Amino acid sequence: MTSREEILARLRNNRPHSTDYVLPSLPLLGERTATRQRFEENLKDLGGQVLEQQEGEIFSEAIARCFPDEKVICSAVPEFDGTLRLENIISPQQADKVDVLVVRSPFGIVETGSVFLSEKELQHRNFAAHLTQHIVVLLSEKNLIANMHVAYDQRTEFREARYGVLMSGPSATADIQGVLIRGAQGVRTLRIWWE
Amino acid sequence: MQKIGLFIPCYIDAFFPKVGIATLELLEKCAQNVEYPMAQTCCGQPLANVGCHSDAAEAEALFVRHFARYDAIVVPSGSCAHHVRERFDAIPQTEEVCHVRSHIYELIEFLHDILEVQAFPWAEFPHKVGIHNGCSTLRSLRTASMSELGEPFFSKPQALLSRVKGISFVTPHRPDECCGFGGTFSITEEAVSIRMGLDKVQDYYKAGAEYIVSADSSCLMHQQGCAEHAGVPIRFIHIAEILNGAQA
Amino acid sequence: MKRSTPVNHAKAAEKFMKDTAHARFHDKRLWDLRQKRDQQMHLLPEWQELRTLASQIKEHTLAHLPEYLEQFEANALKNGVHVHWATDAAEHNRIVGEILEKHGVRTLIKSKSMVTEECEMAPYLTQCDVQVIETDLGERIQQLDNQMPSHIVVPAVHKLASDVAKLFAQHYHTAPDDDDPHSLAWAQRLAARPVILSADAGMTGVNFAVAETGSFVVCTNEGNADLSATVPKLHIATLGIEKLIPRMADLGVFIRLLSRSALGSPITQYTTHFRAPQKGSEMHVVLVDNGRSHRLGMEEFWTSLKCIRCGACMNTCPVYRRSGGLSYGAVYSGPIGVIIDPTFNERKYSTLPFASTMNGSCTHVCPVKINIHEQIYQWRGVLANHHELPFVKREIMRMVGKILGRPKLYRAMVQGAETTLNVLPRFLLYRTMNPWGKNRTLPRPVQQTFHAWYKEHRVKKNRNT
Repeated sequence: MTSREEILARLRNNRPHSTDYVLPSLPLLGERTATRQRFEENLKDLGGQVLEQQEGEIFSEAIARCFPDEKVICSAVPEFDGTLRLENIISPQQADKVDVLVVRSPFGIVETGSVFLSEKELQHRNFAAHLTQHIVVLLSEKNLIANMHVAYDQRTEFREARYGVLMSGPSATADIQGVLIRGAQGVRTLRIWWE
Repeated sequence: MQKIGLFIPCYIDAFFPKVGIATLELLEKCAQNVEYPMAQTCCGQPLANVGCHSDAAEAEALFVRHFARYDAIVVPSGSCAHHVRERFDAIPQTEEVCHVRSHIYELIEFLHDILEVQAFPWAEFPHKVGIHNGCSTLRSLRTASMSELGEPFFSKPQALLSRVKGISFVTPHRPDECCGFGGTFSITEEAVSIRMGLDKVQDYYKAGAEYIVSADSSCLMHQQGCAEHAGVPIRFIHIAEILNGAQA
Repeated sequence: MKRSTPVNHAKAAEKFMKDTAHARFHDKRLWDLRQKRDQQMHLLPEWQELRTLASQIKEHTLAHLPEYLEQFEANALKNGVHVHWATDAAEHNRIVGEILEKHGVRTLIKSKSMVTEECEMAPYLTQCDVQVIETDLGERIQQLDNQMPSHIVVPAVHKLASDVAKLFAQHYHTAPDDDDPHSLAWAQRLAARPVILSADAGMTGVNFAVAETGSFVVCTNEGNADLSATVPKLHIATLGIEKLIPRMADLGVFIRLLSRSALGSPITQYTTHFRAPQKGSEMHVVLVDNGRSHRLGMEEFWTSLKCIRCGACMNTCPVYRRSGGLSYGAVYSGPIGVIIDPTFNERKYSTLPFASTMNGSCTHVCPVKINIHEQIYQWRGVLANHHELPFVKREIMRMVGKILGRPKLYRAMVQGAETTLNVLPRFLLYRTMNPWGKNRTLPRPVQQTFHAWYKEHRVKKNRNT
């Protein structure tokens, strides 16, 4: 008997009477309004920021203003070049040198201020999203989803992506004496640019 | 007229007889026909709580023998009421056993839910009190809202006490925190038990309470022991005593 | 086989509390997490509905676990994931060791996984000449200090920044007197990066495994799990078989509850869905039983398998907050540990169900509604029946039972106590075990028991009238 068969047999033998426990259907619970304002509030609660567009400013100018000293600006979006294109990165070692990664997210979740990224947006360089020091995420207001229930119900990305991460603000830790530190092992800052 | 059987738990009988007396007198003032069966001992909770539930069979049988004839059984202790109601099954569940289990009331429940007492004209207690709900009373008998569930506030002991002249209430930082008595826990985990007890009484003291009032004498016994040993100047009183008109 | 000695929780707890600064901080920090959890709960009117759904989904899944495991496996295989089954800890470690050996792995970076702690994987792999590096800050601190995690979510919560400063000075050569958490966390980031970049394989735990898609979800805050899983070309994920959920949509319920219950934040910073290996990489999943199938057959205790490891029961537990996680002497500490540890070693952990006041707060914060305090009560009964009762001799309790069933004998004992009254009713406890009065005053002696008073004031009076 293989371990697989042994485990399954034991489970079959020991489980509680299976028909007593019915799988509940899932109502779409929670707050259902998907406004940019609520998204921003929740994003900020988790340490994320909004890269505000100043009067007459285009995206590349905003990046230059926000990151005056950063050298390696890596872009994963066609309309912005940066100093390096993501598709030209071939190794994690190279990605580790990136100061700012610019990437577009297909949707955000208002309830938690989260943005979704997968291998599609990250061009199969998933590590780039975590090795970069800072990340700027392009997001459209029309792609805001009210909450987690709606997101899992409607967004097919969760089923299709090989790797799909919901990032909610920058990496964080409170493992040393309970002090909250934004920017632990992954990105130190996360900014949203509304498009 | 319905007949009430008064159950006085072992430690109240031996250490806090005035709580028993106050309970009896209070029920009598509320025009109840109360009897204390003389041959009662204990509900067996101390045995069950250390895992020896089966050894409590004789105690349970004796309890039922003496209390089955009453319309209601009232006890001034939440953990005992909880034990009889929820865990009293070391003996076969006869009709008499079921009657006892479904007709036992902790004193506050009985006054608040069954008798719906609206006034205690004989009672006056011009002091600041902090209410301590024993954990079985709070989370099993549900005599007050619990912070864990985020439900709207309610408190049966406070509702009753607020009908006493002159009384006022203070709220500690952690109103639902266990005081660390826990039966044998107070002995086997002495250090943790003491720490919890001290934290509890200090929390009430800092909130400005002159008295800690509770429907559970065992919690009070432990808290008082901790407070007196550490010199925390706060006093302790069972809710039955205040409702019965104790002055201080 | 030598019988193991029961854990002495009381003694370890006493030792932990002697250091007031640590003990005070520990209680305060975890209480703060409990309050943050409460705030999140108040923001969601549907909180109780979510708990009910989570509980129902988990109970249903456990009752259909063989089917869901098969479904998960079939989908994972379709996705190109290697699936392994481990009946116990030894097999788990062997499987992981073999995968690593096949790939010539010398350095394994890993994120938090309670299953690997449970299986004692790190010492095993070290013997196989694989260097195992924890990447979660708290786990890394514990690894450097050669201690178990003391909490399942915040592993080093029993330490102060000054402890970490000393540890990092020793291992990372930072200034021993610099105990600023920011600079310490920065030191960890700097130390971890090169290791992450050069590691041969990465390992993660799993929070939820979805049967209908064959994918699994990992929730972290530091980003270390994503780094561990995406940087090396080999990703091994290990999970207890109870981590299954049927549908992708069930995640809506669980993700909403998990971090809110654990840390009082609406979601972890990273919620990552792994379905298939990255291009050019390999992905393995190890399904671990290690006693879970046995526990599923325990009528009173099988629902403990619903646990999603949020740690809310620990944060709210007044005993855990005072005594510290290490005092439980087990991988799983606090209320949830108390009810699952005895399934791993009944004698060794026989004391743990007694390290509780059964106050019930844990049960009511549990996001999947495990009746933890009821199970603690049930465990005491099981242990007594199996003669694993600590502190009291079973014969004594039997004798107490006899006395409580005999009113005359009982009365004689109480009257005896009435005159001395220097201890708790002696018949209730083993006398030598009675440190009530060490740090507590005793109840004042009384002149008359209630029983005697009643006899004098009510029985006699009635007779006279």
